[in-house]
Amino acid sequence: MSTTASFSQTTKASTTKTTFHRETTVSTIIRADEAIIWALLTNAADYPRWNTTVTSIKGQIALGEKIVLKSTLDAKRSFKLKVKEFQPGKKLVWGDGKGERTYTLANNSDGTVTFSMSERIGGLMFPMYAKYIPSFDENFDTFAADLKKEAELIQSKAN
Amino acid sequence: MVLSSESLTAEFERCSAALKSYILRITANKQDAEDIVQETWIRAQRSLENFKGDSSVKTWLFAIAQNIARDHLRSLKRWPENVGDICKEAAMGDQGFFSEAMTIRQTSPQGAFEIREHIAFCFTCVSRSLPLEQQIALMLKEVYEFSVKEISEIMESNEAMIKYYLHTGRSKMIDVFDKRCALINKGGVCHQCTELNGIFNPKQNAQEEAVKIQMVRDAAKQDKEHLFDLRMKVMQELDPFTSPATELQLHHMEFDRKVMEKHLK
Repeated sequence: MSTTASFSQTTKASTTKTTFHRETTVSTIIRADEAIIWALLTNAADYPRWNTTVTSIKGQIALGEKIVLKSTLDAKRSFKLKVKEFQPGKKLVWGDGKGERTYTLANNSDGTVTFSMSERIGGLMFPMYAKYIPSFDENFDTFAADLKKEAELIQSKAN
Repeated sequence: MVLSSESLTAEFERCSAALKSYILRITANKQDAEDIVQETWIRAQRSLENFKGDSSVKTWLFAIAQNIARDHLRSLKRWPENVGDICKEAAMGDQGFFSEAMTIRQTSPQGAFEIREHIAFCFTCVSRSLPLEQQIALMLKEVYEFSVKEISEIMESNEAMIKYYLHTGRSKMIDVFDKRCALINKGGVCHQCTELNGIFNPKQNAQEEAVKIQMVRDAAKQDKEHLFDLRMKVMQELDPFTSPATELQLHHMEFDRKVMEKHLK
């Protein structure tokens, strides 16, 4: 695959389901420094400026911190989440008792970074509330596209 | 590269005014600006041998000053973006503030009130609502015209992060001023500069004064990026320590700083 082709490579979000779990994933290749992508992913207050799927995030995105996220997925709900893993430039995980959202960055050593995002929800009670949880696919595609657009815009700024 | 004491002295004299105004604009504190510039001189002299010539002497001096300022500012809370509203309310309830300001206005050779001076003062205060790194990077690039590479040397950060700080800081300030500043947006909630012009220059028509400023004349075009560039141009053209409005603006800044310290406790 040529480098040019890889810049536009985005895997559309997809969801797999089992009786007790559901997992949605998306990935995209971003032509930007991972420091920029990481900064965008970890600056809570700045999310609504560039990410059209997030209405607000209150709190600090740092290991062990609690955040309150409002998403366009369910405008009336506030998701109270804990930051469970925080490896600068590599991996970020937040979640609650029902699920976990994982962000990973992989440097491709060609000026691009592969960004992946997944959310796994479930548990023994999952079959009882599964039908009330909307599909995340469109939301994930938009999140990844927004991140790619903003990171590449910043990267392209003049020196 | 060896930097002689004479060369350092000459370069320090050349850039000390910019250094002092830069520190004032990130600390909003006249005393801090004076102290930090003095400390920068002392540290630069002490570490002459450490200067390798990898950057210009000016960049090196700004890096020293910036480190001192950043260490100091890290312990302080950031200001809210509606700092102007909070300080206005405090001023309205403080007879001493206007009495002192009017005395300065009437007696000081640097007691003039000009709207463009207030625009610069206002940006100094509002930009303290940005995360510290964003405020520092933005000021260095947009007002003091350092390159991204130079700012990365001053801030000891990589160029990608400097671009991030600049982009996010600039976007935030454009948004804040677009919402707040009545000079560029008829729906803006803040009219302080024209209101103060009415108090300190009662014989002037504030609107006539305002349209002398290009940013105000170009407001109708609604090009937010351009309007921000013009706001930065106002900053570039003014030295907050030597202008005809210095004493009045510094008095105003000192008041705001004290109000903020109390507000954030």
